[in-house]
Amino acid sequence: MLSRRAISTVAGAGMALGMAVASSAQAEPLKVGIVESLSGSQTSTGRLYATAARYVLEKVNEQGGYNGEQIEILEYDNGGNTSGAAAKVRQAIADGVNVIIQGSSSAVAGQVSEDVRKHNIRNRGDEVLYLNVGGEAMELRGNKCHYHAFHFTSTAPMRVGALTQVMSEQGDLGDRVYSINQNYSWGKDMQESIEARADEYGYEVVDTVLHEVNRIQDFAPYVAQIKSANPDSVITGNWSNDLLLLMKAVGGAGLDDITFGTAFLDQVGNVANAGQGAMGNYVAHPGNIELLSEEFVNDYQSMTGHYPVYVEPGAVNGIKLFTKALEKVDFEGGDIDVNQIAAALEQATLETDLGEISIREGDHQTVMPVVVSRVSKDVKYPVDGTDMGFEPIEVVSAEDAIFSVQESCRMRRP
Amino acid sequence: MRYKLPLIALLMVALVAVPPLFGGGVQYALVNALIASLFAAAFNLLMGQGGMLSFGHAAYFGIGAFAVLHLMQAVEYGGLGVPTVLLPLAGGVAGLTGGLFAGYFATMRAGVYFSLVTLALAELLYSLAPHWEGIFGGEAGLSSMRMPFMGLNFGTTLEVYYLTLVWVVLCLVILYAYTRTPFGRLTQALRDNAQRIRYMGYNAHATKVVVFAISTTFAGIAGGLMAISSETANYSIFSTHISAEVVLYTFVGGSTVFFGPIIGASIFTLFGFVVSGATNAWLLYQGLIFVLVMLYAPSGIGGLIQAHIDQRHRLPWARLPLPYAVLAGGGVLISLAAVFFIQSVEHVFSNRYQTVVTRTGEWPDYHLLGASWDPLSPVTWLVSLVLLVPGVIIVRKAMARIHELWEDQGADVYESETAPAAGGGH
Repeated sequence: MLSRRAISTVAGAGMALGMAVASSAQAEPLKVGIVESLSGSQTSTGRLYATAARYVLEKVNEQGGYNGEQIEILEYDNGGNTSGAAAKVRQAIADGVNVIIQGSSSAVAGQVSEDVRKHNIRNRGDEVLYLNVGGEAMELRGNKCHYHAFHFTSTAPMRVGALTQVMSEQGDLGDRVYSINQNYSWGKDMQESIEARADEYGYEVVDTVLHEVNRIQDFAPYVAQIKSANPDSVITGNWSNDLLLLMKAVGGAGLDDITFGTAFLDQVGNVANAGQGAMGNYVAHPGNIELLSEEFVNDYQSMTGHYPVYVEPGAVNGIKLFTKALEKVDFEGGDIDVNQIAAALEQATLETDLGEISIREGDHQTVMPVVVSRVSKDVKYPVDGTDMGFEPIEVVSAEDAIFSVQESCRMRRP
Repeated sequence: MRYKLPLIALLMVALVAVPPLFGGGVQYALVNALIASLFAAAFNLLMGQGGMLSFGHAAYFGIGAFAVLHLMQAVEYGGLGVPTVLLPLAGGVAGLTGGLFAGYFATMRAGVYFSLVTLALAELLYSLAPHWEGIFGGEAGLSSMRMPFMGLNFGTTLEVYYLTLVWVVLCLVILYAYTRTPFGRLTQALRDNAQRIRYMGYNAHATKVVVFAISTTFAGIAGGLMAISSETANYSIFSTHISAEVVLYTFVGGSTVFFGPIIGASIFTLFGFVVSGATNAWLLYQGLIFVLVMLYAPSGIGGLIQAHIDQRHRLPWARLPLPYAVLAGGGVLISLAAVFFIQSVEHVFSNRYQTVVTRTGEWPDYHLLGASWDPLSPVTWLVSLVLLVPGVIIVRKAMARIHELWEDQGADVYESETAPAAGGGH
């Protein structure tokens, strides 16, 4: 039988050994998983989010990384669908990522956010952060909000608010506004926002249309409907083919005196496809290359091969805000606790080329300025190989653009 | 029959003992493989045994998933006392109900018309679901959380794996037993000659509806297991992609053998899991495998295995291993050629590589298969050819030799013995 002293000696030696192993072990690297749509129909957008996130993180690595190690950047292809995303989130967590970044598609964002929430409930002390760089659905900040999800992108009320304000100031809004949107949560968010602003800017919503998503080949009947309603302007949250084909049909119908206010006209290829019909139309977006510093634009171009376009400026700012928060937390080479990073992120602010951005505590939405731009030939960076580009008209300040926290968001703080 | 039992027992032991050795990602992939296996087996009851090719089986898979999610929500929020382990039953009931209803209409017609009706019904759900918030939760779908039951909280993927394993094995046993019953025989007769069934005094339409409903019941259970595993579902579960996938699994695995679709589903699910992490061109590889199997082994992987089992007493086993090994070697060469070519093209035309080219004006070397290659050198592109030509020659010779050996023994040569690339490791 072992004496008590022997036991305590062995235990003491064991502890000493354990501490020696711990101190000689390498610093724990921060692992970031980019779970994006890298194959399938949304690849072009998914690639942009991945590129933007990687750009910022690699900058940090160039300056010595984080927590004494290089940040490990892992890429996962979610195939653009929720079941693929569910599988890859689990894979990423099994690989030990601390942070998951994802952007394209609100449906996928909902899946990733929920999976992260459930994982965190079940694995206290081993939590994961979700950085949403693209999902704009209000629901993500509403009943699906949770402490470990951060939303770095704008939403329908932010885009519509900025659009109506600036178009009204420019005298292009008129008092008859037509709303045409896609029949799902994003389109409904848009329509709701358009109707909500009517009194403030003194317009009448002459008609609202919700159409099938990405299925319509010819928008001529819808354009005929628009024509008969005789609006001064049309506001639409359409994106991808639905915007492209809508603009084409408009150009063919000779509705050039109607101004379009859009959320996604800056998606690559839209202006080229719309042709001269695009002139004078508006877009409200989180970033416009014309307003960015030349130094950043050129650096981005040299690292990624293209100018920061479409969703990229916004995503870069979001991830930069995240790295700003990282600077505030020092784990001294030890274990990474994402709860501390989340707390720091709530307090972080970033001075961007457009103004200051920060996270609000209520729903973890980024309070950020929104730029309203107009298609014009008077630009430094023409797009799509045309002579047209996006001329910034006004930057709507963060305080003016932001919407109020939804009641449905009940965030439980750790 | 005698060789089957130990084999199945061994497989069961492996299925129980091996997964804890892997991480959560692999376990989740295994869960998906199990679910896909059950879905494919349920589909094949209709396709392989009943001779009815459904292009819309995603509908019943999805209905099962949504039914289980509604029940899960009732348990989570309403305090309904349904234990987590029994939840998949709701999927089965939903699949059965949907199948009886849809089957009544679909089975009025046979052949391509049947396929089109099933496709239309699934499309109907696909376009309806995003707008029917109450039932399908809009385009975001429904989500819920697994509740603890009898000390098990079903929080880890491993617990979900075992739950899925029990259900899938149970269902597969039932499905297999079904093929042995008189009604199972009737199902096969339905495939071979529906007219004759009628002459024998059976009601062909009613029989078809029942077979259809049994198939959709198990598809619904598979969907329910999916809902439990991912704790969410949205309208995309009804997409043609899911319906097409199960057809693909069944054809590659072989619809004439009970275990064929299960083999096909497992291989493709795990293939997707492994290869999608390595290359973005994984769908191309999946398509290539499908084409090769259809061309050189139309009865599928299961069909090949079955052919060997059927002829086991006549085959010259002692003389077969050498030509089979040679064939596999040739297959490896061809696979390497294909992988080298596709990966080279993917790499050189990728965004990242092209960025470097536009920035520096040079085409730098790239790394593949443990060596670095110059994309502008003809040597690089000859590598594929150098691998491909001998590979094809070896495969052809080996195939001829294998045919010879089979025919020597008077064994019936199946349409073809082996897919050339089946031996290769993509």
